[in-house]
Amino acid sequence: MAILEEPVKGVPKIKNYVDGEWVESKGEVMDVVNPLTCETIAQVGISTREEIDDAIQAAKEAYVDWRRTPPVARCRYLLRLGQLLEENFEELSRVQTQEHGKTIDESRGETRRGIENVEVACGIPTLMQGASAEDIASGIDEYLMRVPLGVFGIISPFNFPFMIPLWSAPYAVATGNTVVIKPTEQCPISQSKLAELVDEAGFPPGVWNVVNGEKTVVNGMLEHPDIKGITFVGSTPTGRDVIFPKCGATGKRSIVQCGASNMMVVMPDCNVRGTVPALMTSFFGNAGQRCLAGQNLIVVGEDDGFYNEFMEAVTATAKEIIIGNGLDESVQMGPVKDVQKKERILGYIESGLKDGATLRLDGRKPNVVGGYPDTCFLGPTIMENVRPEMRVVTEEIFGPTMGVIRAKDLDEAIQICNDNPYHNADAIFTSSGKDARKFQYEVNCGSIGINIGIVAPMAFFPFSGMSGSFYGILHTQGKEAVRFFTESKVCIHRWI
Amino acid sequence: MKLQTTAETISFVKELEEKSAKFYEDVFRKYSKDEDVLLTFAGENKKYFTQIQRAYYSVISDAIEGCYAFKLNSDDYEFETALAEDATYSDALAKAIEIEEKILDFYHVAADQSMSLMADVPRNFKIVAKKRKNRIPTLESLG
Repeated sequence: MAILEEPVKGVPKIKNYVDGEWVESKGEVMDVVNPLTCETIAQVGISTREEIDDAIQAAKEAYVDWRRTPPVARCRYLLRLGQLLEENFEELSRVQTQEHGKTIDESRGETRRGIENVEVACGIPTLMQGASAEDIASGIDEYLMRVPLGVFGIISPFNFPFMIPLWSAPYAVATGNTVVIKPTEQCPISQSKLAELVDEAGFPPGVWNVVNGEKTVVNGMLEHPDIKGITFVGSTPTGRDVIFPKCGATGKRSIVQCGASNMMVVMPDCNVRGTVPALMTSFFGNAGQRCLAGQNLIVVGEDDGFYNEFMEAVTATAKEIIIGNGLDESVQMGPVKDVQKKERILGYIESGLKDGATLRLDGRKPNVVGGYPDTCFLGPTIMENVRPEMRVVTEEIFGPTMGVIRAKDLDEAIQICNDNPYHNADAIFTSSGKDARKFQYEVNCGSIGINIGIVAPMAFFPFSGMSGSFYGILHTQGKEAVRFFTESKVCIHRWI
Repeated sequence: MKLQTTAETISFVKELEEKSAKFYEDVFRKYSKDEDVLLTFAGENKKYFTQIQRAYYSVISDAIEGCYAFKLNSDDYEFETALAEDATYSDALAKAIEIEEKILDFYHVAADQSMSLMADVPRNFKIVAKKRKNRIPTLESLG
C-alpha cells in the first residue's frame, strides 16, 4: 500500500488564536516532533501569563453578546463548523497521525468522534431547555432556566489532540459560554487546524480561543477569577493534586478526567475469535496511550488448558501486529509519542520483571517496517505471572503492554478490579448473560464493557469515570456537559 | 498481500472498482457495443466506491477494531483486465463475468469478516454486492 501524503509541510510556527486573530506568542519556542522520524515538523510558542490573561479578557468580552445570541443561532455556527470538519476530514486525520504517530484508522476514528460531539451539541435548543410547573401555589408558577456562566478553560492531553477538546468546547459555546483551549504543547497542530475552521465558520471573535503553552497557561486559567470552570484530561497526579483542588479553592466548577489501569476480564466461555481482536485494539491501539486502554488481562478459571490455548491465540496475534508509519494504511500500531514516554514504559516493564512477572512477548526491540528509526517505537509486550499488587497494575503505564493476571473465579476477578486504585473502564468477555450482569453490577468503575475492549462512550453519553480516574461530579459529553456548562436559574412568579 | 486494517481494505475497494470500471470503458472503446450497459457499469463503480468510503468515514471509531477488522488476502481477488488482440466481444463479456464474480466474492467475504466490527461498512459491502450480482444476467444477455 502506498504511504499517504503528509499534510504538514515545512516547519510552521503554530500561533495562538485569540479574539478572532492569529497571534504569535512572545514566549519561548518549542519544537513539535513527529515520533515516527524524530524530526521537527512545527514550532509552538509557550505562552506567557500576560497572553493567557489577554485571551481570557477577550473571551469575557465576547461572552456579553454571545450569551444573548439565541441558541438556535449559536448552533448554526456549529452546523457550519461540522460541515467544514467533514470537508477537511482527511487532512485533520493525517495531521493527527503526523504529530502523534497513531495509525490512520485511529486518527480517522478520532476525527469522527470529535465531529460527533459537534453534532450532538447542535441539539442545544432542546438540550438546554429547562422545566416549569404551573400553580405551585394558587396563581404562582415556577420555572427553571439553564443559563451560561461565562468563560471556561479546556486543558487537553497529547493522546487525542483533536478529539478531547471537542468533548467540552462545542457544549460550552452552544450553551452560550466562551472558551479558552490550551492544547497539549506536544501536539498543538490539530487544535490549530480546528481553530482555522472555527474562524472559517465565522464564530464571533473571542468566543473560541486557543492559547498554546505549558504550566504558566494552566496556572493562569486556574488562578483567573473570570474563568468559571475547567475541564481537564490528563494524568491522575496533576488532576488530583493540582487541577481539582485549585478549582475548588477558587470556586470553579471542574471536570477532571485522569489516568487508568483498566482490567479486561476473560471468561472461559468467551468467543475467542471475537475477543482476540478486541483485546488487540484495547491493549495496543493508539500504542496503549489512552485512558480506556486495557492494561491488565485477567484470565478467569483454573483450567490450564483454556489459559494456554487462549494466551497462545493472543500472543500469536500480537506478535504479528504491523508496526510502523501510521500513514501507511497497512500499519496497525504506531510509535509512542516521545523517547521519554518510551523510557517510562520500559521502566515499568523492568519493574514488572523485577517483581516476578515473566515475558511472554517482548516488545522492547520491535521490528519497525519501512526502515524508520526505532527511537520512539515499542512492540506489544505481554507479561505473565502478574499480581494485582505490582506497580504494573497499580500505576498507569500508558503504553502497549499487557499484564496477565489469573483469577480462580469471577468473584476474585471483580475483587481485583475493585481493589485497583483506578476505576475508569473495565470489561468482561463472556457468552454468559448472568456473568456479564454480575460484572456490570458489582464492578465499580465509570464505564463497563461487555465483549467490548474500548469502552468509549458515544458523544450523547457522558464520558464517565470514577475515583482515581475522575474528580468532579458531572462528566464531559452529552447532557452532562450541558449541565456542567450551565447554571440552574429558578424563577417563581405571581401577578396580582 | 494481507489486508487487515479498514483503511487498506477501503483503498483496495477503490482499486477494484477503478480497475473494473476501466475494463468496461476499454471494452466499449474496443467493440463500440452496448454503450448504455458498459459505460453505466463503469459509472456505477465510482458511485459504489463513494458509497462505501462514505460509510467508512461515518462509522470509523478509535473504539472498534478498525486495525484488526479483516483477514483478507488481496491476491485472492486480483484479476486480469487485458484482452488478447483477437479476443471477440463474447470473450470480453466472459471476462467481465469472471471479474464480477471475483469482486462479488470479495464483498461477501469482507462483509462477513467485518460484520460485528465496522457497523455500516459490511452493510454497504452487501448492498454493493447485491447490485453487482444483478449485472451477471445482464452481461450474459449481451453479445
